[in-house]
Amino acid sequence: MEKSCGPVWVIAEQIDCRILSVSFQLIGHGRKLAAALDTTVEAILLGHQMAEHPRQLFAAGGDRVYLGNDPELAVYQPEIYAEIIEKLAKEKQPEIILIGSTSMGRELAPLIAARLDTGLTAHCIDLVIDGNNVLESRIPAYGGLLSIICPDRRPQMATIAAGVFPNPEPDGNRTGDIIPIEVPKEIPQRIQTLKVVREEPEGMDLESATIVVAGGAGAGDPAGWRKIADLAQVLNAALGATRPTVDEGWAALETMIGQSGKMVSPELYIGVGLSGELQHMVGISGAKVMVAINNDAKSPVFEQVDYGIVDDCREFVPVFIEKIKAYREKLKTC
Amino acid sequence: MIDFTLTEEQEMFRKAAQEFAETQVAPKVPEMEETGKVSLELVKAMAEAEMMALTIPEEYGGLGLGYTARLIALEEISKVSVAAGMMLQVFALGIEPILKYGTDAQKKKFLPGLATGERLASTAVTEATGGSDPTGIRSTYKKDGEDYILNGRKCFITNAHIADTITVLAKDDENPKAFSTFIMEKGMDGFKATHEENKVGMRGCNTGELAYENCRVPKENLVGVEGKGLGVALAAIGDVGRGGMVGCALGLQAACLDVSVKFANERILYGKPISRLQTIQNKLADMKIDLEAGRLLGYRAASMQDKGERSSNEFAVAKYFSTEAAQRAAKMASDIHGGYGCMEEYAVSRYMRDSFVLGPSAGTSDIMKVIIARWTLS
Amino acid sequence: MFKIVVCVKAVPDPKEACNIKIDPVTKTLMRCDVPMVLNPLDKYALEAALQFKEQFDAHISVLSMGPPEAGNIVKECLALGADQGFLLSDRAFAGADAFATAYTLAKGIEKIGPFDVVFCGMASSDGSTEWVGPEIATFLKIPVVTRITEIVEYNGQWWTVKAELENGYRLVRVQIPAVFTVTRALNTPRRLSFSGIIKARKKEITQWGIQQLGVSEASVGLKGSPSIVSTIATMDSRRKVEILEGKREEKAEQLVQRLANAGVL
Ligand SMILES: Cc1cc2nc3c(=O)[nH]c(=O)nc-3n(C[C@H](O)[C@H](O)[C@H](O)COP(=O)(O)OP(=O)(O)OC[C@H]3O[C@@H](n4cnc5c(N)ncnc54)[C@H](O)[C@@H]3O)c2cc1C
Ligand SMILES: Cc1cc2nc3c(=O)[nH]c(=O)nc-3n(C[C@H](O)[C@H](O)[C@H](O)COP(=O)(O)OP(=O)(O)OC[C@H]3O[C@@H](n4cnc5c(N)ncnc54)[C@H](O)[C@@H]3O)c2cc1C
Ligand SMILES: Cc1cc2nc3c(=O)[nH]c(=O)nc-3n(C[C@H](O)[C@H](O)[C@H](O)COP(=O)(O)OP(=O)(O)OC[C@H]3O[C@@H](n4cnc5c(N)ncnc54)[C@H](O)[C@@H]3O)c2cc1C
Repeated sequence: MEKSCGPVWVIAEQIDCRILSVSFQLIGHGRKLAAALDTTVEAILLGHQMAEHPRQLFAAGGDRVYLGNDPELAVYQPEIYAEIIEKLAKEKQPEIILIGSTSMGRELAPLIAARLDTGLTAHCIDLVIDGNNVLESRIPAYGGLLSIICPDRRPQMATIAAGVFPNPEPDGNRTGDIIPIEVPKEIPQRIQTLKVVREEPEGMDLESATIVVAGGAGAGDPAGWRKIADLAQVLNAALGATRPTVDEGWAALETMIGQSGKMVSPELYIGVGLSGELQHMVGISGAKVMVAINNDAKSPVFEQVDYGIVDDCREFVPVFIEKIKAYREKLKTC
Repeated sequence: MIDFTLTEEQEMFRKAAQEFAETQVAPKVPEMEETGKVSLELVKAMAEAEMMALTIPEEYGGLGLGYTARLIALEEISKVSVAAGMMLQVFALGIEPILKYGTDAQKKKFLPGLATGERLASTAVTEATGGSDPTGIRSTYKKDGEDYILNGRKCFITNAHIADTITVLAKDDENPKAFSTFIMEKGMDGFKATHEENKVGMRGCNTGELAYENCRVPKENLVGVEGKGLGVALAAIGDVGRGGMVGCALGLQAACLDVSVKFANERILYGKPISRLQTIQNKLADMKIDLEAGRLLGYRAASMQDKGERSSNEFAVAKYFSTEAAQRAAKMASDIHGGYGCMEEYAVSRYMRDSFVLGPSAGTSDIMKVIIARWTLS
Repeated sequence: MFKIVVCVKAVPDPKEACNIKIDPVTKTLMRCDVPMVLNPLDKYALEAALQFKEQFDAHISVLSMGPPEAGNIVKECLALGADQGFLLSDRAFAGADAFATAYTLAKGIEKIGPFDVVFCGMASSDGSTEWVGPEIATFLKIPVVTRITEIVEYNGQWWTVKAELENGYRLVRVQIPAVFTVTRALNTPRRLSFSGIIKARKKEITQWGIQQLGVSEASVGLKGSPSIVSTIATMDSRRKVEILEGKREEKAEQLVQRLANAGVL
């Protein structure tokens, strides 16, 4: 097949031999970009004991997988990973490289971009091909959307958070070629990952929660924040945060929702004492019902929800909690 | 041309003071309001932040930053807590007589500890029989060999219960026209802090009575020349005392304006924020005019003081204007808040209470006018 | 002596940054006089250097690329305890993307002289790409560890650090010279002190433009940036809100009802 340009690449990421969902989501969206450019989607997968895994990448929409399957690659090793991808990219000339905005992706992407002398966009919430066949990355900023392009250099690179694009419907019949990659022998070993520790997250997992209560700067102080946490607990919801509350130290960084944090898609979202800044709101997609509690009737958050409560959250939330409990009691008795 | 802007370095002082106020002072305010007591943690934090060292020269362990820097610090701290500003203002007021009139030995002995905050300072002039009229005081001193014996009682003294080093004005037992100023120290036999006032505002800043009964003070503790003590005490109050009150008042004015702007933008009536109403705008403009004018008067006087010029008249004008303006600002701010302004949850209610306490300290507005009139007529 | 470079960025004050808006008509940024301040995370980067210096003998240089006003934040870093300041300022540097920023900073670091460690913030509060640290390292051909939360050991040429991961961390041994980008978990930055400000009077800030750096106009700023902003759009919201009215109790009651009816409780 004659292609009009180089392929769309996705740097797939695995943790303990499980490919992350964001990698599939990027392949899924990569297909659309590839269709617009009339080219193929290819994945790079680095790990160990991964021989069977390319199948999943094909099922998600990949046409080809470059597989590095070696004990040296079992966990992320920045210099080796960057070296392999740099060499391969210089040889294969991809048009686009997409990387998940994970801890690894956010470090690896700029290492690759700088080595390839090219641009890289962060925090994208959408990727489209524009009229000149150029990749346009859409980034929320200043209450609007910036489109960033890399017109003259290739590849065009972007990082995207989990949940921005949907999981593609796997198609088990799809196949493709697997091209093995060797681990180059003479790589500087200036960084060694000694150990990777993953802890069970505390509280509900935000990404999979059906109810998310998010608190903002309007909590006022740790005591106010605790009231919002209580609401989350009563609702059996995951507790999310805005950036200022993380800055204040009330909430952990892992619970931040938005452009630089988690993407959530609950059934019910309740935003408490937050202003509905776009950088936070882009983190919520597909919520069936959205509620805001804010004491400022003019707050832009009220333009983005279904139900609004104009009140001091520190006063309202305890009352709301009582009403929820009463409602639950009633359900039990009847 | 006259340059009315602060230097880059002074802006950085402002930032340092602001960070201090927001992180170290603000968290202590609720407790201070509730108990009315001094927060010793706050005093310690002030010392660590070198707040007591501002006016003391480097050779005595201070920072030698002078009075503009002090005014900046006081304004920023008072913006968060007038009580904290007041406490700090009187530390410097207690230090000033030693700085200005102390012997080298006195400076070496007292200033380093006062600079680090290991020792805290105050000045005691006012008595039940004399506030506006300091010559009406009844405290006496009497020579006894090398020492002086002091008897009397002071009231309304800031930091009375926490100060270690207090400059006290007393009258010659034998000559009612002669006054002297002494350094009295915590722990001297017969010297103690007695009644503690319960003020409506500036809660958390200690004000109280001092009593001394046959208290023996060594002659090394006499400040300046015997018999010329009135000048010593009044000189310190004239610029450092009034200047300090200007800092407290400017901070309060700024705080009143800030909360008013915020509230006026948030409060919706008739479908729009009340900041769109002309009457409200009028009040905000008045507060802004007062703040701008107060700052110009205060910083002008402080910069004169830094140059070593006489500035007590200019400070009298600034003190009069800014403490009166702070009362107007607190009134307007609570008016803008409507019913909310009467509730303890809203900071304006505290501003209202604090604003009234600003008046008498370091001389009432009437007395400022007496001074200003004397200046004008001279 | 051990040499540390700390990269610091002047950013619009995050407390007021929400006032920067896109003009819906002209589609340009309305800056509304938001003051520039030291990027919050860079205080943690500087603190890391200062804490190292408290234990060992070290010299700390602070480096910023930005307009002349960025000199203020460099000065602030000197007041916080850094030894020397460098400001890369030139009209030609304007409009840089992360790539061109990192390239220019790397040139600046080379010109400052031999160094052992570079500290950066994990991210700026405005662009917030997180690219600058790793790209500087790539241009300088040295390793980088991003998002460090703890420096476990300084052992000669080898440092051991913890770096944040989703729900965990990695323990990494890295050979210096290296770049580290730091998170808030690393330390508690000190506050400005009056005496620090006084000490900064004697410290120098050196300013360099393209000539002094020896870089071409085409390699820096907008011209040297692979990425450019092509369009700016305003976004409109989709939901139609119902504001629940009444007394606090009534509002809470109604909200529970609405949510129950929608089947989300
Ligand atoms: C809304 C928005 C979106 C943007 N998106 C992109 C994008 O997708 N891709 C892109 O290439 N550029 C982008 N930019 C431009 C980018 O922000 C600037 O190029 C900036 O100069 C460097 O990147 P950063 O602010 O993201 O820094 P980060 O990489 O987030 O900063 C990390 C650290 O690098 C150091 N640092 C960063 N800048 C400087 C500096 N000027 N001087 C000294 N140290 C510094 C600091 O230690 C800082 O803590 C965007 C800008 C904005 C405002
Ligand atoms: C590059 C970049 C990336 C960012 N990424 C993220 C991100 O991923 N996630 C994120 O959250 N933010 C992010 N931000 C920050 C974002 O722009 C906003 O600053 C932030 O979301 C605002 O948080 P907030 O709503 O809690 O605070 P504010 O905007 O300060 O709003 C507080 C709200 O609480 C209300 N309120 C106050 N008191 C009360 C009370 N007593 N009762 C009820 N309501 C009250 C106020 O009316 C106000 O609307 C990012 C910013 C930038 C520049
Ligand atoms: C919070 C606080 C802290 C203080 N801290 C100290 C301190 O640390 N050290 C210290 O020595 N003192 C301190 N004082 C006392 C303060 O200096 C006096 O209260 C002030 O000088 C007024 O004196 P007075 O209270 O005796 O009032 P009076 O002098 O009795 O005045 C009563 C009224 O008469 C008016 N009046 C008096 N004389 C004249 C005149 N000539 N013409 C017109 N009207 C006149 C006054 O304006 C006032 O309205 C403090 C006071 C307060 C409230």
